[in-house]
Amino acid sequence: MSLERPRVLIVEDDPDLLVVLRVNLSAAGLEPLLAADGRTAVERVRSERPDAVLLDVMLPGVDGWQVLQELHAMGDPVPVVVCSAKKDPADIQRALTLGAADYLVKPFDVDRLVDAVLAVTGRHGRPAAGPMPELGFEGA
Amino acid sequence: MAKQKHDDQATREARVAGLRDFTTPSFEAVERRRMQLWVLSAVVLLTVVAGVVALATWPSESVVVLQTPTLRLGLIALSSLFCVYVIEKELHLGRLTRLLVDERVLTAALTNRLHEVKLLLDASKAINSELELPLVLETILEGATDLLDAHGGSVMLIDGEELVAVAVSGREDARGTRLRLGEGVAGHVALRREPVLIDGHVDPREFPGLADRPPYVESAMSVPFVHRDELLGVLNVNAARGRAFTEYDLRALSVFAEQAAAAVANARLYERERGHVAELSALRGGKAAS
Repeated sequence: MSLERPRVLIVEDDPDLLVVLRVNLSAAGLEPLLAADGRTAVERVRSERPDAVLLDVMLPGVDGWQVLQELHAMGDPVPVVVCSAKKDPADIQRALTLGAADYLVKPFDVDRLVDAVLAVTGRHGRPAAGPMPELGFEGA
Repeated sequence: MAKQKHDDQATREARVAGLRDFTTPSFEAVERRRMQLWVLSAVVLLTVVAGVVALATWPSESVVVLQTPTLRLGLIALSSLFCVYVIEKELHLGRLTRLLVDERVLTAALTNRLHEVKLLLDASKAINSELELPLVLETILEGATDLLDAHGGSVMLIDGEELVAVAVSGREDARGTRLRLGEGVAGHVALRREPVLIDGHVDPREFPGLADRPPYVESAMSVPFVHRDELLGVLNVNAARGRAFTEYDLRALSVFAEQAAAAVANARLYERERGHVAELSALRGGKAAS
């Protein structure tokens, strides 16, 4: 295991949530990086190659779907956990089709979110396998 | 508290990286420090190269001390230590840069949020400054198109089982258009009371009764006006050519529509009260005449 803490890019336009997520992911032993819009998110992934991305869908300018598409199109895609208020199964399916490793519906439980991020960074025993159970989407 | 922790971390990294003014680190200071390290590395590298060349070319019998293995080992150890020093500083400068970028991102997010709140407040203020329903509707439409940099739109109000376009911007011929609840995009939004974002293709199966004729909408949004659980109508906005609305815009329009629905309800109340006053005045006038 690397001595460096896994870096997670948090992409969220809400400044309060951005701070909350940074504190919690930092406490979980991860190194958070921040982006408040889609363009910055793609730039930071290209320049800093984080170990995972926590992505909101509703972003100003370039939205989360476009970010997901761009990240998926990269040669060595970074695992992405989508975190959105959109709970329509079609949206969840769309995110998974675009390459998301996991999908969490807002409002979310912070511990579950941290677990999901740890799982995709390989710092947790639990593998990332599709959406969280509370979505009622396991069978899809 | 989180901000304080972040600031402390940045100060610590700045101090370890060797920034002169480590209490207020900046991108410029980081770049200056990086340049110092490059210059220092170049100077040390040139000195070592010069030393090695000198050792190789100097007549061995004149300076025996320079040929001792201890001195060579010492030189190698010093060079290695210097490399470790530079790498360590560079790692801290990298971390500090990331912290500074994070700080900039947070500031930008806060600024965006403030700007958004200000626009919404301004729009709400403008709406609430009017009492006459037609004026309120026009102000709502103007506020929505300004807020979202839209090309045009319409306000449709409920009239029985139908929606009627009562305020229109961009396509004047659409004024007075009637749609049944559930018909087309606006009817769908009214029936379900859920906002809809249209980007590109519109599936007619999803919106039965949708008119299949130009001009086709490339990007548009439609949100319901709901006040105290009562559906009052629908607000539609169309994007300008080359602009595509996002989920983020839809959220902003939904928040705006909540304010607008309250203003429409107030304007209707005012209209009704004014009608009552007019009726009472007429009655009083009639009595006086008799």
